[in-house]
Amino acid sequence: MRRHFAEVLARESARLADVRDSATLADWRAQVVEEILTPCSSYALALRQASDAPERDDFVDAWRGLITGAVARVMCVGRARGADGSASCVTGGIDPQETAVLILAAIHGGNTLSLVAQDPSPLNTALDIAVAPLLRHLPSPTAALSPGGEIRSAESVT
Amino acid sequence: MTTADSQSDRRLTARGAKTRTKIVAAAADLMYVQGVTVTTLDDVITAAIGVSSKSQLYHFFDSKEALVRAVVDLVGERVIERERAALGRVSTFRGLRRWRDTLVQNNALQHGAYGCALGSLASEVSDNDAIARQALARLFNEWQDLLAGVLRRIQDAGALPADAPIDQLAIGLMAALQGGYLLAQTARDVTRMATALDMALTHIESLSVS
Repeated sequence: MRRHFAEVLARESARLADVRDSATLADWRAQVVEEILTPCSSYALALRQASDAPERDDFVDAWRGLITGAVARVMCVGRARGADGSASCVTGGIDPQETAVLILAAIHGGNTLSLVAQDPSPLNTALDIAVAPLLRHLPSPTAALSPGGEIRSAESVT
Repeated sequence: MTTADSQSDRRLTARGAKTRTKIVAAAADLMYVQGVTVTTLDDVITAAIGVSSKSQLYHFFDSKEALVRAVVDLVGERVIERERAALGRVSTFRGLRRWRDTLVQNNALQHGAYGCALGSLASEVSDNDAIARQALARLFNEWQDLLAGVLRRIQDAGALPADAPIDQLAIGLMAALQGGYLLAQTARDVTRMATALDMALTHIESLSVS
């Protein structure tokens, strides 16, 4: 049991570290789904564990922390330079911790629904919905910083 | 009756039906609190008033599997009835938020300890019993349809755009609910469930035509 949890956390730690924009977020999301749907993968087994299994609380907490960190990092996209030259993050009103809870809930709940229906779509749909608010606020990979320091998407550059 | 069980088709006397119901209700309560796997038939016999021997239980159910299927039916019936009453006439976001409040409050009574009655069954039996799994799948679909019904009424009232993906949103909401229950159970803290539902509802609401 501990092995599954440790393996998932190790992979998540590495993959979430790569998430920096909407494309890499989509990659992470696709990988999570693939892992969960792979029979007997550490992800599938970890999620199967009873909710009151020992160490499960720590596992979910640790995963939540990893996702929170990734969300906070990628949300820090609009570096607005203040009058004193300091940079601040433009988070667009999204709370990284709460977003992480929604994403984890979608993973767990979507997994249950897919398990019951023997159908991958509920898990996919659930994650799409959970990630949608975040995607709206992220830059696309083609976004570029203008000389003034504001983020401008490639399309707005004429 | 949604599950196949030859012994339940046998005509029961009124007293027999009562005893059967007692057995199933006792089993449902035990399995809710301690899980399906851990619950033995002896546990059920001890808990069911008026039932004192395994042979009595076997009169109605020839295996634990058969009993579990009956539990799925009973729990499913209770949950759908509850949800139909709660959601049947909801047609606004405010109504959905109230629905969420009730679920969270009820779960808070046990600090989230037991999770969703239907969801817990789904986790435990899906791998082991295809018939029970199929019954659970139908029940979840029914529940999802109730949610989709609410979203369609909200859409009809103009609070959601005509092209809003209603069925997908219903799945997303259900997943947030089930996942919320699981997270609350793991952390023994209903806040996780409240957050997951709030976030999902906020997202759906954000799609509304401003």
